[in-house]
Amino acid sequence: MSVLAHYFESAGFVTVLVGFVREHMQAIAPPRALWLDFPMGRPLGKPNDPDYQKSVIRAAFRLFDEPEGPVLEDFPDVIAVRHGRMGYALPVDTVCSIDDIGDVDALLSQVQGEVTQLRDAYDAAVAARGRTTVGASEVAIADLAPYIAEFVKGRKPKSLRAGMAPVPLLKLVVEDLNAYYTESRTHRDSIDDFELMGQWFWEQCKAGQLLLWLEAVSLYSEDKVLRQIVDLSLITPRFWSEGPLPGTSGSDW
Amino acid sequence: MVRMAEMPAVGRGFIAELDMPAIDEPGWTHAPPAGERRVAVVSSAAVSKRGEKPFSWLARDYRVIGVDDRDLVMTHVAVEYDRTAWQQDINTILPFDRLEEMADDREIGSVASEHYAFMGASDPRDMERSANEVIKRMRRDNVNTVFLIPV
Repeated sequence: MSVLAHYFESAGFVTVLVGFVREHMQAIAPPRALWLDFPMGRPLGKPNDPDYQKSVIRAAFRLFDEPEGPVLEDFPDVIAVRHGRMGYALPVDTVCSIDDIGDVDALLSQVQGEVTQLRDAYDAAVAARGRTTVGASEVAIADLAPYIAEFVKGRKPKSLRAGMAPVPLLKLVVEDLNAYYTESRTHRDSIDDFELMGQWFWEQCKAGQLLLWLEAVSLYSEDKVLRQIVDLSLITPRFWSEGPLPGTSGSDW
Repeated sequence: MVRMAEMPAVGRGFIAELDMPAIDEPGWTHAPPAGERRVAVVSSAAVSKRGEKPFSWLARDYRVIGVDDRDLVMTHVAVEYDRTAWQQDINTILPFDRLEEMADDREIGSVASEHYAFMGASDPRDMERSANEVIKRMRRDNVNTVFLIPV
């Protein structure tokens, strides 16, 4: 983003950037930048808090008063993160091996039960918010878990979306399933705590168990793309882990 | 205070090794008065309108988001950041409602008709062509102020 700021500023636009990694902002030195000591994923700070969101915008826009740059300032408020991690991370001891995988159909049935149980909460969330982020895959909610289960069984199903290969679609299907759960729960229980939602989905729900099995299978897949995206923590959230990652190239990070 | 040194090992290792491009001749544009600012948001959250082509994992292209668009999906390749905030309130990453309120209160001049989303995981040096297209679109929309928001 800092580089884009330079492109736009050089073209005659006045720019200001907010960002999370102060060291990168210092290195690239965009014309005006406001560092946010926030968790990643929430650059305006707090959902459904217009005053707080405006306080971030106003702090950023005050940098337009600076006569020259580059200028980098710190937003005065901190939204604390846990153990320095900027998002939820699965505990290292949640790594499964292929030997841990049991009856996939039985687990799938339990996941579908969770999906059904959450349906009213999900519908209420969509009605209250007037929108949903579920649907990036364009796969029906009822078909999300069965599609994942096929990969856990070691198969490579046909893509359910025209023009998209099975593995890239798998990634979007996983994210849709996760979003379905968290959209439902954050609304139903008025929770705004991504650590709690991460623990719940990944460590307590059967859906999370299915995805840990997917991770275990994928690390030994003959499909190079599938192996790589799991190895790079692009399916399971292990980026903020103390490591080591379960994959083969994690030690290179 | 979360600085790189305080981050857990895996993420710290990845972030610390990212190549930081050098900017040879950084530009500087003087800001217009607040009441004359027409603001466009540029996001790296890889959001797009439902039904549009998803972002590829190292996409160099961009998507146009209308100021009234709310039916958006996210196809960012990374999963290490919180997505529950934007699920609850789109303004946590695209503060269109806040900017409209600030325009109504004359804290800024106006909000652009179009806003722009990129894939934040891609190397920004590969995005220059797309940035130039966005520049043309922003000029047509009479934008003079750009608010860049990562995810």
